[in-house]
Amino acid sequence: MSAHEKYDVFIGLEIHIHLKTVSKMFCSCRAHYGDEPNTNVCPVCLGYPGTLPLLNERAMELGYHVARSLGCRIADRTSFVRKNYFYPDMPKNYQISQFEEPVGVEGLMEADLGDGGVRNIRIHDVHLEEDAGKMIHAGDVTLLDFNRAGYPLLEIVTEPDLRTGEETEAFLRDFQRLVRYLGVSDGNMDEGSMKCDANISINHPGKGLGTKVELKNMNSPRFVRLALNHEVIRHAEIIDAGGSLIQETRLWNENRDITESMRRKEEADDYRYFPEPDLPPFIPDDAFLARVEASMVELPLDKKRRLQAEYGLSPEQAEFIHDDVATLHLFEQTVRTGSSARNVAAWLSSDIRKLLNRENLSLADSPLSAARFSALLKLIEEGRISGKIAKKVLENIFSENSDPESIVEKEGWSQISNPVELALIVDKVIGANPEVAAAVRDGDMKQRGWLMGQVMRASDGKAAPELSGKILDEKLSTIV
Amino acid sequence: MSLISELWSGVLIEPGRREQYTRLVGEIDESIGSFLSFSLENPTGKPAGKGPLNGLPVAVKDNIAVEGRPLTCGSHILENLKAPYTATAVRRLEDAGAVVVGKTNMDEFGMGSSNEHSALGTTVNPWNKDRVPGGSSGGSAAAVAAGLVPLALGSDTGGSVRQPANFCGVYGLKPTYGSISRFGLTAYASSLEVIGALTRDIDLLETAFGVMAARDEKDQSSISADMISEDATHVVMLEVDDEILDAPVADAYKRTEGALKEAGYSVGKVSLPSLEMVVPAYYTIATAEASANLARYNGIRYGHSPDFSENPTELMRMARHEGFGDEVKLRILLGTYVLRSGFQDQYYVKAQKIRTLIRNELAGVFASCDLLLMPVFPTQAFLMGDAGMDDYKQRVADVFTCLANLTGLPALSVPTGIDGGLPTGVQFMAPAFGEKRLFKAARDLTDSFPLQTAPGALDIRSLS
Repeated sequence: MSAHEKYDVFIGLEIHIHLKTVSKMFCSCRAHYGDEPNTNVCPVCLGYPGTLPLLNERAMELGYHVARSLGCRIADRTSFVRKNYFYPDMPKNYQISQFEEPVGVEGLMEADLGDGGVRNIRIHDVHLEEDAGKMIHAGDVTLLDFNRAGYPLLEIVTEPDLRTGEETEAFLRDFQRLVRYLGVSDGNMDEGSMKCDANISINHPGKGLGTKVELKNMNSPRFVRLALNHEVIRHAEIIDAGGSLIQETRLWNENRDITESMRRKEEADDYRYFPEPDLPPFIPDDAFLARVEASMVELPLDKKRRLQAEYGLSPEQAEFIHDDVATLHLFEQTVRTGSSARNVAAWLSSDIRKLLNRENLSLADSPLSAARFSALLKLIEEGRISGKIAKKVLENIFSENSDPESIVEKEGWSQISNPVELALIVDKVIGANPEVAAAVRDGDMKQRGWLMGQVMRASDGKAAPELSGKILDEKLSTIV
Repeated sequence: MSLISELWSGVLIEPGRREQYTRLVGEIDESIGSFLSFSLENPTGKPAGKGPLNGLPVAVKDNIAVEGRPLTCGSHILENLKAPYTATAVRRLEDAGAVVVGKTNMDEFGMGSSNEHSALGTTVNPWNKDRVPGGSSGGSAAAVAAGLVPLALGSDTGGSVRQPANFCGVYGLKPTYGSISRFGLTAYASSLEVIGALTRDIDLLETAFGVMAARDEKDQSSISADMISEDATHVVMLEVDDEILDAPVADAYKRTEGALKEAGYSVGKVSLPSLEMVVPAYYTIATAEASANLARYNGIRYGHSPDFSENPTELMRMARHEGFGDEVKLRILLGTYVLRSGFQDQYYVKAQKIRTLIRNELAGVFASCDLLLMPVFPTQAFLMGDAGMDDYKQRVADVFTCLANLTGLPALSVPTGIDGGLPTGVQFMAPAFGEKRLFKAARDLTDSFPLQTAPGALDIRSLS
């Protein structure tokens, strides 16, 4: 009997995302990755004496946007607290955060959990806070970079509604997709713009929550899955053996694929929360709330359903198209120009995807725009190029960064649809292969396909397929 | 322009008087110790503004940032720090023509009532050099009393402007919370403290306040509000047991009642039942906030750090161990204690409830009077060292001053003369944004209580 059959498992998450704002949470420094260390800093985010925080209202707006999108009850008054603990990379040695009056509470996120099906995961609360700097250990010195100090962070806390590592990984991918749809965060766990801590407990069926263990240091959804599954087994073994769990925080060691104890409950920091006296409570006005409403978008799962219902895409196509925001946007823009949705989806999920993979490009960085894509499809629909040529045109769009029409013109790839010209090519093919032609006349239709291939080859793939076939059939039936 | 501004306006411009001024400040302050740093050169090289304070020298308490100048807060831990920016209140004074000339001594991070808790120097009372100037803005009060500057900035968390002003015989204003930006004021207890001003001239005080008071977008707790009218006819006096006050203080308090009546005020009496809870509530909130506000000093980004440490955690511990004085450590520990989880209801939350209670009680008082009259401190300036007042008694004695901080209301300490060679004074408190009433009451008392000059003080008229 597996641990999951024997025990109820409860998994909850604390997800942090960096909000995409121009400036930091409480000062006007640039919030930007990858700059020289300690260049995006000022007296405020370095915690100089006498400085005061100044609320970035855009971050507040993004926070409300997420809370609202997660179906939270959004706050008509939200306030900040100081969370006190010492850490070398934290300039003030307290973090401005939210506690009793977060941006939103009691939400629900609909998520496709793979084998777990589509479920509603309860959101406990959504709150804003500031990030700390970064500590870099280099040999026997420790270096500090405060560029990240004061970045706006949004923390989303779920109820313990997840059951397995796999479900949790699927949930995180859904969540990443959600924040990218909303445009509030990059949601990259490897770049650190999204972080996830988990808490897990197991118990005998029907007994409710067990002893909670917190897990940290999981830098990808995959590590979250591995760490949780490792913990489920570890907990089950302890309970099986008649032991009991210790409430503690554990770190995932990705080199050893195990969790290791970091600190016990009694060693945990007492954060000594108290109201931040430097920031008055924030009370959103009508204009603010209207902006939040105006920024609401269709959520990923709704989008996926509509791709199937409205555009007739297969579940696989819909999954592929809705997964990535850039793909989705290209799809929607191209369809809007009148191209067939299923064609667009087919190209996106096969040839375009292959090319992107080969060139190691993201759609956003590729030379393929919606205008070029729909021009390409139009060339096919109008019979000016064959599907086969279209693939070559696509390659050239990528290699030359130019428009499909000019590629076709430059390369002389326009389809041959002049019946006289085609008849000459067909004659040549039949003349060169008399035995095959005879076999077709005797009813071997397989050989007809081969002859068609020869026609295409003789025309460098430019022969209009339908018309060429018709001429071929005519010739084969008339010449005795 | 007030008379005092006129007297001072040329001092920094004319080379002869400028040089004489610098020399005299050095000579006089050698025995007083009000300045931690003094320089007429503006380290930023920025030209002075023009306005109602043209050419007026200003001393600034060393916990308020002035770009390029030290910002020690009277502490070893910030002994070598230079401020990278200028406080909004100072900037506004500079824009109006004032010139910062130096930074004044103070109890470390504002924690004390005598200036004896400064880690960087001793300041004495210009009236009697065996006595303390008061605190924590003791350097600012002494500098003004000794005539070294016509105006000084201080900060008032629990009485830190009014009490030293009272000890040194000058005016000390604690304005309404939010009226003057705190941006640039080193935080000790953020929800209680404000930047205040000390001077010997009530007109100058009003001008300076008018220049500094404005909503500042860098301080979200600052407020732009209309000042209430200066009309004030009815004063109520806080009833105080005689044995609480030293005789000269009690006597000055009684004489003020008479002087007010003479000036045409009606004077009533009031008692505040929750007054006895004020000091515990004040120290609970102040130390709680201080424990967070002072956490940033860890020797990493600026300030004192140990010569060597094994790791960042040890570095922080040693920087704080070596850098902070005992009073600061005591208050940080107290604040950490009252904020512990599971104990907040007993201390911090209870203190906030008391704060609300007192606020309501005072709102009731001001419903039927224009001004509240109170003592500033139970004693006159006390002796320095062990012969003075013990630390515990000093904290208890904050009762009359910290009331204004808990409620956010404006208060002004007003000199009432000299008794036994030492200044006495009283304080007025007004409803929020009622500073004009405070200035008017002080002005109305000048006939009865003409301002006295400390022995050996610099007389600006003597410069030629």
